[in-house]
Amino acid sequence: MFDLLKSMLSKTDSKYADLRYEIKKEIKIIFNGKELTQIGSNLTDGYVLRILKNGGLSSVAFTKGIDAEKAIRTAEMNAVLVSENIEEPIRFAKADVVKDTFSPKLEEDPRRISIDEKLELTRKYNNLPLKYEKIATTNIGYMEVIREKYFVNTEGSEIREDLITTRINGLITSRDGNLIQNVRAGTGGSNGFAILRNAQEEFEKKTSIALQLLKAKPVEAGVHNVILNPSLAGVFTHEAFGHFSEADLIEDNPTMRKKMKINAKLGSDILSIIDDPTMPNQLGFYKYDDEGVMARPTQLLKNGVLVGRLHSRRSAAAFREQLSGHCIAQDYRYAPIIRMGNIYIEPDTNTFDDLLATMGNGLYILDAKGGQTSGENFTFGAQYGYIVKNSKLGKMVRDINMSGNLYKTLQNIAVIGSDLVLSKIGGCGKGQLNIRSCHGAPHVFIKNVIIGGV
Amino acid sequence: MEKLLAIAKANSDKVEIFSLEQTINLVKFENSKLKNIECKVQSGISLRLIKDGKLGFSYTKNLISREELLQNALDSLKGGVEATFDFPHTKDLPRLSTYDPSIENISNKNFLDECNRVCKKLSSKTKGQINVSAGSAIDKLRIINSSGTDVLLSTSNYFFHNTILYPNSYAAIHRMLYLKKFEKSPDEYLHFVLDTYNRSLKKVNPKGGKMKVLFMPETMYVLMWRLLSATSGKDVYQKQSPVAEKIGEKIFDEKITIYDDPLNDKMPNARSFDDEGTPCRYLPIIEKGRLKNFYYDLHYSKKMNTKPTGHGYKSAMWGGDTVFLKPTPSLEHLHIKPGTKSFSELIKLMDKGIVVAGALGAHSGNIQNGDFSIGLSPGLYVDNGEIVGHVKDAMIAGNIYNAMKNVIDIEDTCYPVSAGTFPAIIFDNISVATRK
Repeated sequence: MFDLLKSMLSKTDSKYADLRYEIKKEIKIIFNGKELTQIGSNLTDGYVLRILKNGGLSSVAFTKGIDAEKAIRTAEMNAVLVSENIEEPIRFAKADVVKDTFSPKLEEDPRRISIDEKLELTRKYNNLPLKYEKIATTNIGYMEVIREKYFVNTEGSEIREDLITTRINGLITSRDGNLIQNVRAGTGGSNGFAILRNAQEEFEKKTSIALQLLKAKPVEAGVHNVILNPSLAGVFTHEAFGHFSEADLIEDNPTMRKKMKINAKLGSDILSIIDDPTMPNQLGFYKYDDEGVMARPTQLLKNGVLVGRLHSRRSAAAFREQLSGHCIAQDYRYAPIIRMGNIYIEPDTNTFDDLLATMGNGLYILDAKGGQTSGENFTFGAQYGYIVKNSKLGKMVRDINMSGNLYKTLQNIAVIGSDLVLSKIGGCGKGQLNIRSCHGAPHVFIKNVIIGGV
Repeated sequence: MEKLLAIAKANSDKVEIFSLEQTINLVKFENSKLKNIECKVQSGISLRLIKDGKLGFSYTKNLISREELLQNALDSLKGGVEATFDFPHTKDLPRLSTYDPSIENISNKNFLDECNRVCKKLSSKTKGQINVSAGSAIDKLRIINSSGTDVLLSTSNYFFHNTILYPNSYAAIHRMLYLKKFEKSPDEYLHFVLDTYNRSLKKVNPKGGKMKVLFMPETMYVLMWRLLSATSGKDVYQKQSPVAEKIGEKIFDEKITIYDDPLNDKMPNARSFDDEGTPCRYLPIIEKGRLKNFYYDLHYSKKMNTKPTGHGYKSAMWGGDTVFLKPTPSLEHLHIKPGTKSFSELIKLMDKGIVVAGALGAHSGNIQNGDFSIGLSPGLYVDNGEIVGHVKDAMIAGNIYNAMKNVIDIEDTCYPVSAGTFPAIIFDNISVATRK
């Protein structure tokens, strides 16, 4: 395969070019309620070409190998057009030339497990909620994505890496009269099929929450002190802070770039955040990014001070900062962009009871239900929560959406727990989807958060 | 494709082949400077077959081996996905004008020049950061099936996004142009974004509470997602629609009429058949506040013992490759009927309240139940009938079945946005949470 890709690349005389070919194997099994609505195994493939010529960069994603030469001409033409219309030529930070083939260590290779066994395991989990009368439906599925990636560039790198992602997850919907509630449930990872076994407890627990939510009251809108559980604090870390550590998001936004200067004090003294794609067995693990750069742990915030950023070769050169190996594509249909790997808040030494004791009165809110950011402001939902009075957990509440200003909220993080948990299911949409986007945190106490209510 | 149909037919009872070729060009500017030029040339084929009442499905990008694609579909039969429907025999479709050949003569240089022209024009008149993008998409779609259907469609699209950002964020005023061919952005379109931005530049922090709230066409998707979920044949079948039993009932204010109009070829992407080859038709969803219809694909219409409405599309909330997706019920040509007042008249009429110019977190919250709870990104504050500033650190929340009963007025013009073609609407009595 490398020889074919290299011969394709030999047709350009540009300063730099790279070509990524991927075979993507996907298995999908989906249940809607009792009904199996989809099952199948499919194989797709494609190419992404990038060309850096005269200081202009451009990409072409194409399906058919015979279109390679046409793609090269188009990319060259567009790169020259870019070069003629920008002030500063685009440069790439210097990266090592790598020749490597890498397959991750797996606990049970999903490729060796029959689709029947995958179907039965999914059916088993899907049946757990459906035993209850007040569970209206489920939407639970098995997903397996195997990306076999071949990367070559004109500097001489040749990298083959496999990314294997599996999960069983979905939505459990409960209903009482006109009131409909739902809760997300699931498990998954990047280190094999074994992680999917023995997840009954997860599906049973989430079923119970979906049923309890039918009796919960909507949360009262207003400004609250809150404790976020690790799942929710992880989403906060990813959405509110993480995205603005991605250099491409702030590169051409002068007002945000000014705020996100290295050495700026952005958070409280106790807050440290790191992104480390090299953590083995975590969802966001990879060895090389889609520019062929080896991933490295990147400290972003240390004791509240901004100390690092996530980079592509282009942005590292533009910012004159260190390469980090965070330029990732969804698949063969996309040129890579800067993404988080495993981002998390570093744990402190406090227990959950310590956090409750410090907060006194407020809300304990759990599990993410989607989030979004627009720079200094963010919004995300929690699946459920509890009222906390005199440091004791009280009644369950629902319809929780919180909103805030990033910089104020980073300053308002008052206590951090010791119980770090990283997410098992990802799905970050930044123009393209990243199913391996992994985030985590311990329990975190934040003061003065706006809750929208209903 | 014909060969594939023949060998698939020999191995099953019913067959459908879907083929799509796409060419996309995109030029992006950030902060009035060229950032990126991208090109995508993609193709793919998917195969559905039915044998003994079971459905097989497979897809590929490169049709290297017909046998392998067929084998994947045959293998998936074993799962036992039920298929009681038949593929339609579709013929004599209306001829729609969906392709403007002039798109072939337009290059990225034209898009780049247009982006430059707009940036130059706007940057002298505002301090805000200007991000624009221009691009085109050309699609060639063909569906053939064993019932004798062979339908073809070529579409051309041109789109232009004009965005002015508030400081320290991606919160912005934006508007989209969406056409069948390349055209320069008209002045009034550019002026609206510029004027709305400049009027709202001041940061304000009004008191929260219940008040009048105007949704711009660009944020109407927050409410429409909830309605789409409630009226989909899939959600009705799965008993997760709160309006499943309410056909014919008045569920919204009588000023509200919402319909799907795939045959209107004045708009880009008009369709005479859906992604299953079923003929498309005009379908009222809400007429003067009354719930008129649910929408169906082949599978769920059979399940609900009704006729398909021509709304089976291979689309998903988060995009994805059309070829890889299974058809599900979807409204791809949604319209809200306009009212009689201009946008500035609506602002005057509002007197005091919040304009939702950008929404954060529309996908979170209890969509099926009709609940919404979104961050303002930004909200515009209206006082004494004028836009006086923008609000960021705030949320609004409600339920569409309450909000849509409290409609004050509707704008006289509709704009193409991400989920359909909508006017702005003012609602009364919506809860706004701020820091005051």
